[in-house]
Amino acid sequence: MILRVAWAIAAKDLRIELRSRAAVSAVLPFAATILLALGFALGPNRLLLEQTAPGLLWVAGLFAAVELCHRSYQAEAANGALEGLLLGPAEKGAVYLGKAAAAFAQLMVLFTLTTGMVVVLFGMPVGPSPGRLALTAVLGIAGLSAMGALLGLLAVQGRTRQAALPVIVLPLVTPVVIAATRATGALTQGTPAGVDGWLGLLAAFDAAFLAAGYLVFGNLLED
Amino acid sequence: MIGSAVRLSRVTRQFDGLAAVSQVSVDVEAGETVWLRGSNGSGKSTLLRLIATAISPTYGGGAVLGHDLVAGRAAIRAQTDLLGHQTRMYDDLTAAENLRFACRLHHADPAGVEEALERVGLQEVASVRTGNFSHGMRQRLALARCVLRAPRLILLDEPYAGLDPDARVVVDDLVAEARVGGRTVLLASHEAPPIRLLDRDVLMDGGRLVTAPDPAPAP
Repeated sequence: MILRVAWAIAAKDLRIELRSRAAVSAVLPFAATILLALGFALGPNRLLLEQTAPGLLWVAGLFAAVELCHRSYQAEAANGALEGLLLGPAEKGAVYLGKAAAAFAQLMVLFTLTTGMVVVLFGMPVGPSPGRLALTAVLGIAGLSAMGALLGLLAVQGRTRQAALPVIVLPLVTPVVIAATRATGALTQGTPAGVDGWLGLLAAFDAAFLAAGYLVFGNLLED
Repeated sequence: MIGSAVRLSRVTRQFDGLAAVSQVSVDVEAGETVWLRGSNGSGKSTLLRLIATAISPTYGGGAVLGHDLVAGRAAIRAQTDLLGHQTRMYDDLTAAENLRFACRLHHADPAGVEEALERVGLQEVASVRTGNFSHGMRQRLALARCVLRAPRLILLDEPYAGLDPDARVVVDDLVAEARVGGRTVLLASHEAPPIRLLDRDVLMDGGRLVTAPDPAPAP
């Protein structure tokens, strides 16, 4: 039953995004602007660009996650649909898992496109372990999605909470961004020593965020 | 009549220290249709939202369909539908998709979606996104959702607002069908519903019940 509800929520979110293109049209130009601005600011030093590329990629991913999750809950707030989720008898944790899954799918697409931009603009190499690089992306995006799906809810539940959103989200996801950046940097530079530790840290944060989100989502949704 | 569908005892709900509903005690028998009347701002919508468990009481308590208003929220929600000012639809989904999603969320059978749309006269626009719907069409769609769910307790908040005569008939038919089916209906409106549909009426003013039928004893 939990998986059925989660699937219904995720399918609904993805269908809405496919039709409205709200996230793609807002987030992708935003990420491209960040990358272009920073690329010009750093200058033509190719080595410097390659070294900073992983950090820029994940900062762009972080902002994309915040914006995407905010937009996802704006669609819920319109016409009072959020109250519909509250008043449904479905397990609220299942609703959270559905929102997180939809955010994950959308962010993976956006992150893949952003990575393409970074490869072209910054000359970031893919490195000798594309599989582990992909695993880093999956684990990092999972962490951002898990936290974004939980805290995006706060953004539509009152002015004070909306103002507090970045203050709460950014410190919580900082370990994810650091671990993903370090792992990406090591893999693209061909120096994979210590990558397993960063990947383990990412997996641990993902599990913690998902468990916390599943447990507290219902309480955040309640009056 | 079999027991109480709604039994509230001295329920108060405050927003920023101001009471929208104050010391309300009310007892609605199962199967009754009650018109909750009163002017704008009298507390009708807040009272319905309290009964639907969309909000919690600041003070007081009670039971809905035999379940505690706070501890039994999940059980109450499974058997209650609130049709409020907002229709809870997604603009980028079609009418049929909105209903199918509601079915999945409420564990209802989506097989009756087409029939429900036909009941409210929206079968021709089943595949149109609700973002293109008028207010009246959205209200009809919310009624279709209620038809699909067939809840034991139906809470209608200003159901006639912005509806044309044909759509008003749809509301009246829903209430009449609920009466026949032994379901309980609380209808909050400053407009009078057809008297044949009602068992009794209750007047609210300034967040209080002015005519309080059968106040429930304090728990």
